[in-house]
Amino acid sequence: MDYYLILARSVTYAQRMQRALERTGIHCQIARAPRDMTDLGCAYILRLAAADLAAALTVLHRESLDPVQIFLNQRGVLREVRYDLS
Amino acid sequence: MIYLDSAATTFQKPPAVAAAMRDALLTMSSPGRGGHPAAMRAADIAFQCRSELAELFGVGNPERVVFTENATHGLNIAIKSLVPPGGRAVVSGYEHNAVTRPLKALEAKIDVATAPLFHPDAVTVAFEQHVKPGVDAVICNHISNVFGFIQPVEEIAALCRERGVPFIIDASQSAGVLPLNMDRLGAAFIAMPGHKGLYGPQGTGVLLCGENVTAKTLLEGGTGSLSIQQEMPDFLPDRLEAGTHNMPGISGLLAGVKYVRQRGMQNILDRERRLALLAAEGMRTIDGVRVFALSGLRDQAGVLSFAPKYKDVEEIGSGLAEKGIAVRSGLHCAPFAHRSAGTLDTGTVRLSFSDFNTPVEVYRFLSVLQGVLR
Repeated sequence: MDYYLILARSVTYAQRMQRALERTGIHCQIARAPRDMTDLGCAYILRLAAADLAAALTVLHRESLDPVQIFLNQRGVLREVRYDLS
Repeated sequence: MIYLDSAATTFQKPPAVAAAMRDALLTMSSPGRGGHPAAMRAADIAFQCRSELAELFGVGNPERVVFTENATHGLNIAIKSLVPPGGRAVVSGYEHNAVTRPLKALEAKIDVATAPLFHPDAVTVAFEQHVKPGVDAVICNHISNVFGFIQPVEEIAALCRERGVPFIIDASQSAGVLPLNMDRLGAAFIAMPGHKGLYGPQGTGVLLCGENVTAKTLLEGGTGSLSIQQEMPDFLPDRLEAGTHNMPGISGLLAGVKYVRQRGMQNILDRERRLALLAAEGMRTIDGVRVFALSGLRDQAGVLSFAPKYKDVEEIGSGLAEKGIAVRSGLHCAPFAHRSAGTLDTGTVRLSFSDFNTPVEVYRFLSVLQGVLR
């Protein structure tokens, strides 16, 4: 199944994102970022269902919790996607 | 033992504190260090603790709640972030060495806003005279650790906002008993221990950081984030939390903070003040004791000093300890406060109460004190 990975700058930031999404009923999991997702070293991601992305980004933007990067995992292939959050 | 030294550290803790610490040892590793259950459980507890503290102290973002080893650690970060070597700071006349020694190490010029004990209006006037452009930081404790004097931090914060000078609050004695709203005060930093009025274990402290303040690091090292970058992250809390977290401590602190929030700070303050008032009134009937308190304990929290007129304070402290009563005698690491109150030469004996003390303990103390004074 396809899903999105939202890259956060730290575990605490990922937790803030997760709590903000949970408050609006959007479920997601926090996990370590795959090594090839970022060239900055260790990081955390939120994993969420593809259908939830647009709503999730609206919530995160409203809460000033902008992601570092967003990736789509499509049939095991990871690629960065860009969204205009404004 | 009758423990009346809670201004140093609260000894009796809610039972949930020890249970939480034990749970941490059995189930947690370190937040931000892996995605396995032990790391994620640690991360969850750390975040819960930050969130509870953020709500309690009016911090809009839990990332601005930084874990430290104690209040001294937090004050060092705060002071060294704002006051450059040879800089200028204004402090109250009741500061602890946790404030004045870092300033001395920086060779800072220290202006003391001197005011008499239990006169908050005079404190405000003194700060009005000293806070001028060119001052790098104003630093003031909320409650004097020696005399329990409640200082007017809201008024000082307003003055600092008006004059554009960063304000650091030492909440060592007030965290858990008096309300403080970080964002409303507009303070640059608020430092506090976890092991006093928040009922966490020793080795815990908290630094609340202002929204637009750049904190300097005291330590550099691993944070579990931006690992390739060799500079410390520029975001909180990672910037100020290098190295492995004290998870048993943070878990215990979370349990302590939950206790305070459930019990209510006003209820805790009322209890401590009632006990301090009982002790003050009792001591006033004893010959040979000078009590530092105004009628009705005005402008004072549950911390009370007294000075024996005919005996050394250490003799009184030892005498009470021999009879099973724990107090703190001497200068309480606060020579500035003793100089302001005129007790630098003699020191005082300090009683400080927690939510776990009782009136029976105060009556016992009064009875024993009479014997020790003879």
